[in-house]
Amino acid sequence: MSIDAADTQARIMVVDDDPDTVTILARYLQREGFATVEALSGPQCLKLVGETHVDVILLDLMMPEMDGFEVVRALKNNPATAEIPIIMVTARDDIESRSEGMRVGVSDFLAKPVFRKQLANRIKAQLDTIATARSIDDALSRIEVARDSAGKK
Amino acid sequence: MTWPRLASEAKGSNADFAFKLDAVLIGQHPTVVKLRQLIERVARTEATVLISGESGTGKEVVARAIHILSGRRDHAFVPVNCAAIPHDLLESEMFGHERGAFTGASGHRQGLFALANGGTLFLDEIGEMPLILQAKLLRVLEDGVIRPVGSDRGFQVDARVIAASNADLGIAVKRGAFREDLYYRIQVIPMALAPLRERRSDIPILVEHFLHNARERMPGRDVTVSREAMVHLWSYDWPGNVRELENMIERLIIMSNDDVLDTPILPANLVSANRTVDAQIPDKLTEAGLDLNAVVRELEGKLINEALTQTGGNKQAAAKLLGLKRTTFAAKLRRCGVIAPTSGGNEPET
Repeated sequence: MSIDAADTQARIMVVDDDPDTVTILARYLQREGFATVEALSGPQCLKLVGETHVDVILLDLMMPEMDGFEVVRALKNNPATAEIPIIMVTARDDIESRSEGMRVGVSDFLAKPVFRKQLANRIKAQLDTIATARSIDDALSRIEVARDSAGKK
Repeated sequence: MTWPRLASEAKGSNADFAFKLDAVLIGQHPTVVKLRQLIERVARTEATVLISGESGTGKEVVARAIHILSGRRDHAFVPVNCAAIPHDLLESEMFGHERGAFTGASGHRQGLFALANGGTLFLDEIGEMPLILQAKLLRVLEDGVIRPVGSDRGFQVDARVIAASNADLGIAVKRGAFREDLYYRIQVIPMALAPLRERRSDIPILVEHFLHNARERMPGRDVTVSREAMVHLWSYDWPGNVRELENMIERLIIMSNDDVLDTPILPANLVSANRTVDAQIPDKLTEAGLDLNAVVRELEGKLINEALTQTGGNKQAAAKLLGLKRTTFAAKLRRCGVIAPTSGGNEPET
């Protein structure tokens, strides 16, 4: 499943108001074989996500103008983006933020400082979920095809 | 399709049947919602199903649900764990044997396939089945004829086969450990169960379900989970999946005198500073050996992470905490794989 995800080159959006962090994370993800989209603010994330296909969003919580929670709410309220998994970057011990993140529909958290291996694991887990959902859809359509051909006999 | 037990009110819809799929396969994650849909559809067919998923994801629950929702529900559901039965006994267990077929075969014995006649045979851990037996299973799936060990006569059996594996059978096929023809024969409908860490949003729903069960069993107690403890339960990677979560909740209820299950009673490895899938530092050297450099990097990374957490991301203080010079600490930070420091950090590194 994960092999399929890698084959089609999954696209990860990195959202953080710190340009250096965005560059570092994006460069690392590209080295790992992902395509990346970079956004420096919540509004920019919402604009770009409407223009290009994104598989997973890596979202910083603390941003001026529009914080991570507001971005999650906006993404979840739009049927076109509601199912995109969001990994929120927070301080490890920030129980309040994590609790709120769970409530608004974040798929996972990544603690700061961000470790290469953790980042890769978290993203891979979300891509695997997408692959699982796709394989269930395939199985459902296989049953429909089998039923149709049985019906024609 | 008829529904024998509810013939009068049956309209051919699973919703009319007393069995509630969402009461045994709990969750609202899109993969779970789709899975319930797939189970209901596949139950109305006779297709062979291959269920794949890590241990504890509920493969047998799914197999039973397919059986109960199928027209075979009034016949037996026979589970067989191919890994739990010694290889040399598995054939006679599955197909039965005649008296004197082998040493110790004192009488005729019906096999599990025959027991599942009219019903469903669930072959768990099918990847563990020896190659010779795989060939025999393939033949049975093709012609439905069982040949007991020591018998030259076969007889017809009508059992639906549902197989399950926690390893990727596709890889076993490439390795030559699993027959390719059998693989394609059993995975007519493949069903993948997501591990719990890939559908964390279901953790609070599952926790509430297990607490509800506990309240029913112990009417005197009204057990709940604190917000903070829930965050930790949510953040943990659950290598043993739903089964591990269920066991954990049971254990916490027993251990706690308080009705509110809170962080202090959670095991240390569960509290999110220590996610099991991330830090794998072996406590002893096994025959398999290890990559010492990788383990050292892992340990360094873990402690550096803890130091940064404790000092709120202050690198100078973190270096001091670890007895390192700031420059050494910075070099280690790079080497152990920190790619984005804590907020306010001023040292972007690759």
